[in-house]
Amino acid sequence: MKGKFSVALSLVLLVALIINTAYGVGAEKKLKVAFIYVGPIGDYGWSHAHEMARQSLIKKLPWVEFLPPAESVPEADAVRFIDRFVREEKADVIFTTSFGYMDATIEAGKKYPDKIFFHCSGYTRSKNVGTYFAELYQIYYLNGLMAGALTKTNKVGYVGAHPIPEVVRHINAFALGVQEVNPKATVDVRWLFSWYDPSKARMAAESLISDGCDVLAFTEDSPTVVTVGEEYTKKGKPVYTFGHYSPMQKYGPNSCVSGQLVHWEVIYRDILEKIRRKVYTNTNLENVDYWWLLKERAVELGGDFGVPINPKFIPALKEKKVTNSVFGKISVYDLVMKRLSQMKANPEKFDPFTGPIKDQTGKVRIEAGRRATHDELWNMDWFVPNVIAKIPR
Amino acid sequence: MLKRYRNLGLSILVILLGIFAIYLVSGVRPDVMLRSIVTSAFGSIYGLSETLTKAIPLMLCGLGLSLSFRSSVWNIGAEGQLLMGAVGATWIVLYVMPNAPKLVLIPIMFLVGAICGGIWALIPAILKVKFNLNEIIVSLMLNYIAIEFVNYLVYGPWKSPYEWGFPYSTKFPTSAQLPRILDTRIHYPTLILALILAIIIYIILYKSKLGYEIRVIGDNIDAARYAGLDIHRIILLVFLLSGGLAGLAGVGEVAGIHHRLRVASGISSGYGYTAVIVAWLGCLDPLLIILVSFLFGGLLVGGDAIQVSLGLPGATINFINSLILIFVLVQGFSNARIPSIRKRKSER
Amino acid sequence: MSFILEILKATIPAGTPLLLGALGEIYTERSGILNLGVEGMMIMGAVSAFGITAITGNVWLGVLVSAIVGGGMALIHAFNSITLKANQTLSGLSLTMLGLGLSGLIGKRYVGVPLLNKLHSLPIYGLKDIPLIGPILFDQDPLVYISYLLTFVFWFFLFNTRFGIELRSVGESPDVADSAGIDVSKIQYLAVFIGGIMAGLGGAYLSVVYAPAWIEGMTAGMGWIVLAITIFSLWRPERAILGSYLFGGIRVLQYKLQPFGISPNLLNMLPFIFTILVLMLASKEISRKRISAPSSLGIPYFREKL
Repeated sequence: MKGKFSVALSLVLLVALIINTAYGVGAEKKLKVAFIYVGPIGDYGWSHAHEMARQSLIKKLPWVEFLPPAESVPEADAVRFIDRFVREEKADVIFTTSFGYMDATIEAGKKYPDKIFFHCSGYTRSKNVGTYFAELYQIYYLNGLMAGALTKTNKVGYVGAHPIPEVVRHINAFALGVQEVNPKATVDVRWLFSWYDPSKARMAAESLISDGCDVLAFTEDSPTVVTVGEEYTKKGKPVYTFGHYSPMQKYGPNSCVSGQLVHWEVIYRDILEKIRRKVYTNTNLENVDYWWLLKERAVELGGDFGVPINPKFIPALKEKKVTNSVFGKISVYDLVMKRLSQMKANPEKFDPFTGPIKDQTGKVRIEAGRRATHDELWNMDWFVPNVIAKIPR
Repeated sequence: MLKRYRNLGLSILVILLGIFAIYLVSGVRPDVMLRSIVTSAFGSIYGLSETLTKAIPLMLCGLGLSLSFRSSVWNIGAEGQLLMGAVGATWIVLYVMPNAPKLVLIPIMFLVGAICGGIWALIPAILKVKFNLNEIIVSLMLNYIAIEFVNYLVYGPWKSPYEWGFPYSTKFPTSAQLPRILDTRIHYPTLILALILAIIIYIILYKSKLGYEIRVIGDNIDAARYAGLDIHRIILLVFLLSGGLAGLAGVGEVAGIHHRLRVASGISSGYGYTAVIVAWLGCLDPLLIILVSFLFGGLLVGGDAIQVSLGLPGATINFINSLILIFVLVQGFSNARIPSIRKRKSER
Repeated sequence: MSFILEILKATIPAGTPLLLGALGEIYTERSGILNLGVEGMMIMGAVSAFGITAITGNVWLGVLVSAIVGGGMALIHAFNSITLKANQTLSGLSLTMLGLGLSGLIGKRYVGVPLLNKLHSLPIYGLKDIPLIGPILFDQDPLVYISYLLTFVFWFFLFNTRFGIELRSVGESPDVADSAGIDVSKIQYLAVFIGGIMAGLGGAYLSVVYAPAWIEGMTAGMGWIVLAITIFSLWRPERAILGSYLFGGIRVLQYKLQPFGISPNLLNMLPFIFTILVLMLASKEISRKRISAPSSLGIPYFREKL
């Protein structure tokens, strides 16, 4: 009797289970989304910023199931991680967040035509592979304005991770800003050939400081440059710095002037909502390329969220006056704020990469009055004249 | 023979122990992790195909290293030799004969890759023979130098004009891309090459004069000197061969998987180091190494799985690998292979 | 002038982890044990120092723990090579791999964690005003001063104490030492343990003072350079200081040379190429002066049964 009862009970349970899994409870099937990161989540730079975006969307998009992300995935292994997400975890949408994953993502797109892929920072697309990028060059230009105003030695330094177009573009935008307020100042660069290596970053920063640089900006995934700047400032040799990617002002309250911040969640949210509304499908991504700047609010000026300029430095920037062809005599602080609002406007009223812009050899790269095209920015492999370093070849 | 299988079995036991240690650090249940590794690596056709793909470079590097360890010289530079092989293949494909037909290009690519890997391995060998330098340190230093050299090429002179300034070489023409089995990534020409070479090395080692000399030097260098063997020549030869094999692995990776040269970390995720363990666990026996490579290919594939589905760090699998090496050591079958140590005792 | 001064000043911290590691390895090798696991012990020292400092906020506690962890790692090698008499080369290699793997596993949660408590430079009053050398040598952090002190202590003990004599005789000929009543394996265990402690400290210097940060694989070949310095120093602590700062200088110089248009990738090769050159130099000197490595280096000692 007891045996029969338990058999019946387990049958009922089994049936319930089958029905449950077959039809699901609740209506909508959740969209399964996977992320592949090149660095460790905690690197305080690139991968960290993507992870922050993912985390913030978990609450905002209840119709999405975010799979645990794969971090520190070597470029050589990207294909297998994508395979795993598709085959084992049944992901519907996969974001690959490093330019090194480009080949792997395109290949996966061909292999899994019914899935949707988005590759960050690449330039190859296909019918189910789109690309996206939140671009910081406008912010670097604003940082450059401040750097040009603050340097006393007229030597500005830049610690670059890798000599790729993205970093070259950032250096140029920064140098254009420096040029605009301080035509005498030069920008020198040290390369790390690493995205995340604080001891290299420290050596590079100290090397620049010993060459006379008193303002430093960087593209690299740790707050090292800011901490080095803070150390020197505390010792009585002020070195001003600009944070990169994440809020870094807290590492250098006396050194960090401003910085660049990113809001990937703006882009991710837009992509996922369009996938949900079937605006994006696995057949129409050939031309979907996000290239979002200030006007889309994908990036922000500041060393901390909501703090465009460290209040400590506002008086110095207000004091410094320059003569500008558009605004006349204006303080650097006001100039930064004016340019910021111009670039936030849609369509933009200003862009730093507007001609005439020459390269180091004096060749005109962007003619007077013309704004650089997306492809020109993507391909950039030349420096503007006030950069005194060379791109390694 | 029986002892070999016992060791193989025990090595699996050590993997289990390692997994338990990981449980203490990360809290992931051992059975969950083990199931994840095994099913992902061996539980499906897809998993098996990936395991085999990973096993190819391990086989070639492991075979080469076994020759060197057999003669008691320590080539720890397979990683660098693999990369130089990849450089050699890329040079042939993109800069020497880009228009050659497939049947000409592929053999030459392998040949040049082997030569490049071999020459890279000759550096520590020559320095050892001529200046009595420690070959372990030199071959390791050459790994770091090779990594920087590959990066220099893809950021510098070999950067493709068609890749928007990113550090990639130009893509190989289809005539230089190795065929694969169906839609897997198994580039079978390299695999077949590895299997044939395993047999050839087996024959060299056990049926030829050279093999005999290698074994004598490895077993008792004093006896070899007594017997009037040209030890220097054999050391050079062994390094040349082992570097050449690693070079072939590098050709396989660029021509079979990536179809271009890219930054060093994109080509090899430490195959040259894992191969050291493969060689020892395979008892420096060419045929056993093939088997062990497959096992370690599985471990590497399983390593991805536990990262994706269990959130364990990628270093976990390196940790397990190192435990296996310690186990190999403690088991003492490295001692058995280098009886010169025991000989020395009896001399006293 | 100030250009050279800045380079020299930066050289000392860059060379300090190497110096600490090399001092330890000199003792280990002097006892006849070859420990190729320096890289592994250093990185375990680095991760443990960082972890403890991040948790407790106390840098010195982190440094202490790194010494213990490094020493513990070394005991594995001591057990393998002294008790089991296993192959020392393979044991050292496996220690390196163990350290790299385990540190990655433990250190995952510390990646990108900034260290708010760190060692600040502590100029020594009076000494730092000595012209030329003052600002270079005596405007550094406390661990650098400790490394100066340790170099002296290691030199003193090796050549002027009974322990030093015993240590050297064990490395030269263990059977003679044994018959003289020295406990060979006790001395060897101790020497290997000291080697581990020092490697651990070297790693700690990297992660809590120099960077300060935890990065997977952050030793990046330094352990192997330590082994080269050990040979270059001809197993003498006072020469290790020279070798270590030479390498420190090379690392600093890399960034100084970038503006001259040399590819940074090629500059990154410098320390490794330099290692090979230094080994060749040392090899010449060894054969010229007829110095040799401790003659029982790498060979297990089997005590004859009487």
